[in-house]
Amino acid sequence: MADKYTVRVTGKNVDIAVGEDQSVLDGALRANQWLPHSCTQGTCGTCKLKVLCGQVDHRDSPEYTLTSEERDSGLVLACRVTPRSDLVVEPLGAVDDRVPHHPLRDHEGTVVVLDDIAAATRRLVVALDEEMHFNAGQYAELLIPGTALARQYSMANPPSEARLLEFHIKLTEGGAATEGWIFRSLAVGDRISLRGPLGQFHLVDKVEGPVILIGGGTGLAPLKSIVQHALAEDLAPELYVYHGGRREVDLYDVEFFRELDARHEHVHYRPVLSEQDWGGATGMVTDAVVADFASCKGMSAYLCGPPAMVTAAVKALKRRRMSPRLIFKEEFTVAPPLPDADAAAS
Amino acid sequence: MTITPDFVNDITIEELEADPYPFYERLRKEAPVAFVPALGMHLVSTRELCEQISRDDENWPAVISAAGGRTFGPGALLNTNGEEHRELRDMVEPHLQPTAVDKYIDDLVRPFARERIAAFENDGHADIVAAYCEPVSVRALGDLLGLDDVSTDKLREWFHKLSVSFTNAAVDENGEFANPEGFRPGDEAKAEIIAHVDPKIDKWITEPDHTAISHWLHDGMPEGQTRSRDVIYPNLYVFLLGAMQEPGHAMATTLAGLFSRPEQLERVVDDPELIPRAVAEGMRWVAPIWSAVVKRAARDVTVGGVDLPEGSIVMLTYGSANHDEHAYDAPSRYDMDRPVKPTMTFGGGKHACAGTYFANAVVRIALEELFESIPNLERDTDHEVDFWGWGFRGPKQLFVKWEV
Ligand SMILES: Cc1cc2nc3c(=O)[nH]c(=O)nc-3n(C[C@H](O)[C@H](O)[C@H](O)COP(=O)(O)OP(=O)(O)OC[C@H]3O[C@@H](n4cnc5c(N)ncnc54)[C@H](O)[C@@H]3O)c2cc1C
Ligand code: HEM
Ligand code: FES
Repeated sequence: MADKYTVRVTGKNVDIAVGEDQSVLDGALRANQWLPHSCTQGTCGTCKLKVLCGQVDHRDSPEYTLTSEERDSGLVLACRVTPRSDLVVEPLGAVDDRVPHHPLRDHEGTVVVLDDIAAATRRLVVALDEEMHFNAGQYAELLIPGTALARQYSMANPPSEARLLEFHIKLTEGGAATEGWIFRSLAVGDRISLRGPLGQFHLVDKVEGPVILIGGGTGLAPLKSIVQHALAEDLAPELYVYHGGRREVDLYDVEFFRELDARHEHVHYRPVLSEQDWGGATGMVTDAVVADFASCKGMSAYLCGPPAMVTAAVKALKRRRMSPRLIFKEEFTVAPPLPDADAAAS
Repeated sequence: MTITPDFVNDITIEELEADPYPFYERLRKEAPVAFVPALGMHLVSTRELCEQISRDDENWPAVISAAGGRTFGPGALLNTNGEEHRELRDMVEPHLQPTAVDKYIDDLVRPFARERIAAFENDGHADIVAAYCEPVSVRALGDLLGLDDVSTDKLREWFHKLSVSFTNAAVDENGEFANPEGFRPGDEAKAEIIAHVDPKIDKWITEPDHTAISHWLHDGMPEGQTRSRDVIYPNLYVFLLGAMQEPGHAMATTLAGLFSRPEQLERVVDDPELIPRAVAEGMRWVAPIWSAVVKRAARDVTVGGVDLPEGSIVMLTYGSANHDEHAYDAPSRYDMDRPVKPTMTFGGGKHACAGTYFANAVVRIALEELFESIPNLERDTDHEVDFWGWGFRGPKQLFVKWEV
């Protein structure tokens, strides 16, 4: 990184050095200065900042996340924007500094497990050269070799295993990371580059009420980390894990969760299938939750998976009077199309 | 004097109370400064002119409407100017400064809001105005003032009675009140207020405490002296009317607005940080103090092309200014995503609302608590949304329901 600019965040008394080709978010998190963010791919809008002074390059900030009106009024996406001068910026939302945050770092590791665990789903385990500390529920970005692209994958291992990261990865047809790499050429023994930790979907502090965790497909990954962490640290009085899939072949880690359910009085595991009659629950996973709870008052929820499932789950939990403040979400949104891919298509 | 168009001659207060918007839309277009015989004064209806006059306290000192003066008596903040007004502001402002409000507001509002919600949250339906908006609004201010021994329902009764008197504005052709009986409720309320507060004042004189009224009595007075009751009461009525009523109006109006935009309601429920934006748009959409501020021309003036002689009385209609087509696209539509533009909701100039920060905080906390406990709140479509009022405006009732 040739030139570095200085970025000052109002309310934080430090100057953050950010390179010419680096995002403001990346610079801040590496300097251990927490800024709100959720997807680091420009799709969620959580990372909006107001630039109070200085010049920026929005780079590939999508118009649907940051409208031209917002750009005109000085807003930027921290995860996309790069400085063109020294900057003073102000986060739009409250900056949650109550939970500990771990600085963002580049890591290298070796693939030690790459297994097919369900239909079009793989478990990838990476042995890191150095520890990566993170909060249960966070994700990392895997760099696709030979490209400038990165994709987000949530850690499924508990934070106590800081050198052995487990990921659950679902195949996306035509996908650069999945079909093009992880499901094609990647093999045990390969070296992998990644950066992390990222995101604000996490369980850190002890909670008073029961916790409902709903995962769709590989949305189970961060929930597996959270459940293990909550058990190890005794963070929650009850844990209800729902895993939604279409057919039985979509489920994985069934034995792992069944065993937790059998061993711990306060862990409850319910897989739900939407397109197959079987011995277990059927229908939409969110409908199963609504049927199981007359009221969710005082409870909290962790929802992860495809955006449509997360939206449906939020609705269902509000119907059962769960406070929106206690509903935490991680949406597996798709990375925006590359600008040059657009150009190629037209 | 200009010629008064027929539609202005024919308007009645009842029509305005039911729905003032069509009349004012025409006024803004055809007669932004219009003499209305039924009121005996000029109405100013555009945002630009309301703003200009409210800021120009030299040419436009504040007075109180005749009905307002009849209700509050002389010496209220609303109809004092210059040094005397400054002193009254100094009396009421300490408790309402943002730094002061931030210190006490959560403890003042949250526990009571939660208690109210707990009383009806398992019913699955409510008239949210009577069950929640008005009680939270009056309890917060009542406790701040030192009227913690007055029941919530009594405080609600007082502001309703003062409100109908304050807006009993109709005059006959001689300029006399057309409906003198209409002041009776306000007179009853005042008699009760004095009977209750007089002994409390006796006590505060010798035993000052942290309450606002106690401070009004003592602050800035020479050792051994307290402010006269003649100063305290008219200003206490200002608080017991508008300041009691309007945060409740703002809450209910914002809910009604959000019900008209379910996707915006959902976003606000999911992200309570959007509540202040939703409330600001609610109060733009239907300004709680719709048409109550009155000014007097200190000299001969021309406004909006109309020549007015010294002494002319004009009423600034903030509810109309907030619907000015030149400032707001589709003004009658609630839309919290519209570009943020200053409104006239809290007035302007030296007489601008002294309780802006306090009121916004009360409304915000009340809605935070409501959405936190009942995130599945929806409008009960068996009932119409029933907005009422011209001087002060808000839903009289707002029926809501939720799954239990
Ligand atoms: C915070 C976060 C955490 C994530 N964690 C995980 C995880 O733990 N496990 C996991 O499997 N995935 C996870 N994802 C998703 C993951 O990051 C990738 O988006 C996904 O694996 C696809 O990447 P790809 O490069 O293979 O496909 P891409 O190259 O990004 O997509 C290929 C093409 O298919 C289109 N496309 C892809 N999916 C869809 C769709 N659903 N609907 C419409 N068009 C589509 C795209 O527009 C694109 O043109 C996470 C995403 C985020 C934001
Ligand atoms: C949402 C609620 C409220 C709204 C919309 C509102 C609006 C207004 C408006 C429009 C005025 C007249 C301004 C002018 O003359 O231009 C006013 C005056 C005033 N308001 Fe409010 N108000 C609200 C709540 C409150 C509260 C809670 C308090 C006190 C705690 C308060 C105290 C006052 C006082 C003292 C005045 C008189 C100011 C003066 O004449 O100097 N208001 N308000
Ligand atoms: S848009 Fe930047 S973190 Fe999601």
